[in-house]
Amino acid sequence: MTDRVLTATVVLTLATAAALAAPSPSPIGTPGKHTEDSCVGCHSKLDDSRLRAPAEVAKSDIHLTQGVSCAGCHGGDPSSDDSSVAMSPARGFTGKIGVRTIPEMCGSCHSNAAFMLRYSPNIPTDQLAQYRTSKHGQALAKGDTNVAVCTSCHGTHGILPPSDARSPVYPTRIVETCGRCHGNAALMSRYGIKGDEVSEYKRSVHYAALVAKNDLSAPTCKSCHGAHGATPPGISSVSNVCGTCHLSQRERFDQSPHKDAFAALQQPACESCHSNHAILHPQDSWIGMGDKQICGSCHSAGDVGATAAASIASALAKASSAEVTTLARVQRVERSGMLMDEATVKLEEAHQAFVMAQLEIHTASVGRVESQTKAALGALTAADKSAAGAEAEIRYRRSGLFVSLAVIALAMVLLILKIRAMER
Amino acid sequence: MRMLEEFWQALDERFDLAPLVEFATHKEVPRHRHSWAYYFGGLTLFFFLVQITTGILLLLYYRPTSEAAFESVQFIVTRVPFGWLVRSVHSWSANLMILSAFAHMFSVYFLGSYAKPRELTWWSGFALLGLAVGFGFSGYLLPWNELSFFATRIGTDMVSKVPFAGAWLLKFLRGGEDVTGATLTRFFGFHVAVLPMITAALLGLHLALIQRQGMHVPEGLEEEAKTRKPIPFVPNFMLRESVVWLLGLAALAALAAFFPWELGVKADPFASAPAGIHPEWYFLFMFETLKLIPAHVLGIEGELLGLGVFGLGGLVWFLVPVLDRGSRKGHRTRAFLVLGWLLLAYIVSFTLASLAGVFK
Repeated sequence: MTDRVLTATVVLTLATAAALAAPSPSPIGTPGKHTEDSCVGCHSKLDDSRLRAPAEVAKSDIHLTQGVSCAGCHGGDPSSDDSSVAMSPARGFTGKIGVRTIPEMCGSCHSNAAFMLRYSPNIPTDQLAQYRTSKHGQALAKGDTNVAVCTSCHGTHGILPPSDARSPVYPTRIVETCGRCHGNAALMSRYGIKGDEVSEYKRSVHYAALVAKNDLSAPTCKSCHGAHGATPPGISSVSNVCGTCHLSQRERFDQSPHKDAFAALQQPACESCHSNHAILHPQDSWIGMGDKQICGSCHSAGDVGATAAASIASALAKASSAEVTTLARVQRVERSGMLMDEATVKLEEAHQAFVMAQLEIHTASVGRVESQTKAALGALTAADKSAAGAEAEIRYRRSGLFVSLAVIALAMVLLILKIRAMER
Repeated sequence: MRMLEEFWQALDERFDLAPLVEFATHKEVPRHRHSWAYYFGGLTLFFFLVQITTGILLLLYYRPTSEAAFESVQFIVTRVPFGWLVRSVHSWSANLMILSAFAHMFSVYFLGSYAKPRELTWWSGFALLGLAVGFGFSGYLLPWNELSFFATRIGTDMVSKVPFAGAWLLKFLRGGEDVTGATLTRFFGFHVAVLPMITAALLGLHLALIQRQGMHVPEGLEEEAKTRKPIPFVPNFMLRESVVWLLGLAALAALAAFFPWELGVKADPFASAPAGIHPEWYFLFMFETLKLIPAHVLGIEGELLGLGVFGLGGLVWFLVPVLDRGSRKGHRTRAFLVLGWLLLAYIVSFTLASLAGVFK
């Protein structure tokens, strides 16, 4: 009897072990086909909201919609309704995934070019490699688990593609996402970072373009620092970063005497005048040696740079003032009912030349700035002449009107006198 | 002088014109405290003549295609000598003509001149006002600017609400599903050929009826008209009317010089409608009323109901000589006088309120 019981126990144990040790079905389903498994089924019915939450957002998760089940990250056997089997360590169930292992775990698929090709022919697969070079990746490698890993930015459950406007890495939301850590001055102080970068960025023209104009091409944190390989650009590479978009400015700066001078002084190129995060709309009034002007931070009164700055500022002020005056005159004539098409074209021409003059400031060449301001003044003179001609025409029309009104009034008086004489 | 006399005798011999001269010489206009009302019809005729003259001048340069219409008007007002004046006078005169026609219609109504035997004069006048409004509606689109394009789209869209024939009418007016170059060509045809032809015929009838029946003396003023010496039509009334016409001319010249009619921005059929689209001022009272009516009233579409009420109102106004039975016996019904004042108050108040931006 004892032998039988022993035999039965051994057989049952072996059978159970065999069942538990059986290979789990693949967690990777057909791309584009939504996965339904026992994980979502059970977790959505749990009373504990912490355990129920992942199941509630699972429907919109990019992985589940592409056929990758929960087991793809957490392991286990999603085909079993028995939780002891589904979440058995013997079937690879890992439960909560540790922060340090997250990049490698995500990278196990996302760095596999052959595998990712199933989902999109152009999907990048260098995220993990870039992450390892980033400040975040380097700190994590040293054991700092306070730094950002994949889930810090993309979320954990309910991960959306970056092109989805609800995704935390969508252009209009990424600033807030980075700001969750980088806006925390206490946390950032541990890394020697001020923690005011996000609030400073929000004062910038870039943020205004992003939010006010909904311009998704406006630069955000990742545009300058990189996304997965996030690192502050070094002094020598600042102009490369800005020059990615501001090509003309970069080209002119490279031709200017400032390029070598800034390099010698270990000064970042664009940032020295425009700042880094709080990049404000540039003003012509910045040029000069005064307290609130920028040239005085390097140049001394009377030196070549100060003299050039004064000439550039004067040329720009002259053109700007002429533009304001002429525009007002043309608009006044237009309001009087005259068509000012030719003047409008000239005004546009002048404005374009003026913008070019502002661009030439980056060369620090007085001659190049003045050649554009002269072109602007020439176009403005033509527009002004056109407005003057229209004003003369208005005066002529009004004089003509008064003459005709006088003739009409005289005719009326004569007629009335005639009628009176007839009816007397 | 002798040559002129001989020329006149030659004409009279052939066409028997002497009775006409006899008629004109003896034609008289009654004189009483409301004689001023007799001048509005003539003033409307003056503005119509201005429209014909300036319209013909504009025709010399205007090109009725969606590609060239705007540019041709732009050319007229910028390059053609006095083109700005002709175009501005045409636009202002169109509006003053409608205003003068409304004044003429209400003065005729309040003085009871529609009553028997002048029913046909009232009806032809009513039709002429409809034609004037048609001139305005079709002419509004011709410069092919943004405002006129979208206002025409809304205006023509209203006819689609007409039961049964709505879709057909819409297509007939637009020359297709939407307002396009085909609509412009069509409206141009209506504006310079169809409407002028009908107007000329109706105007001839209207004037002939007035000459045949003479001026109406309003009820209660018969005694006054008898005691005061009537005004001889030739030349006294004609000279008086000339003073009024000169006043109209002065108003036109002043408006054209001080408030030149704007050209606006060229229409872009693919752009979204700009804010503040509105029809000409004489449609504003209907436009604002239709906007105030709820989307559905007792299961009927609000806009359809509004248009139905306007249609019915127009019919009642047209049939006033028949409906106001008292007027046929020389005693106007008080209810119709009240109706007239209410209608005038409604049109004036809604138009002014709309212009003042009350409905925005």
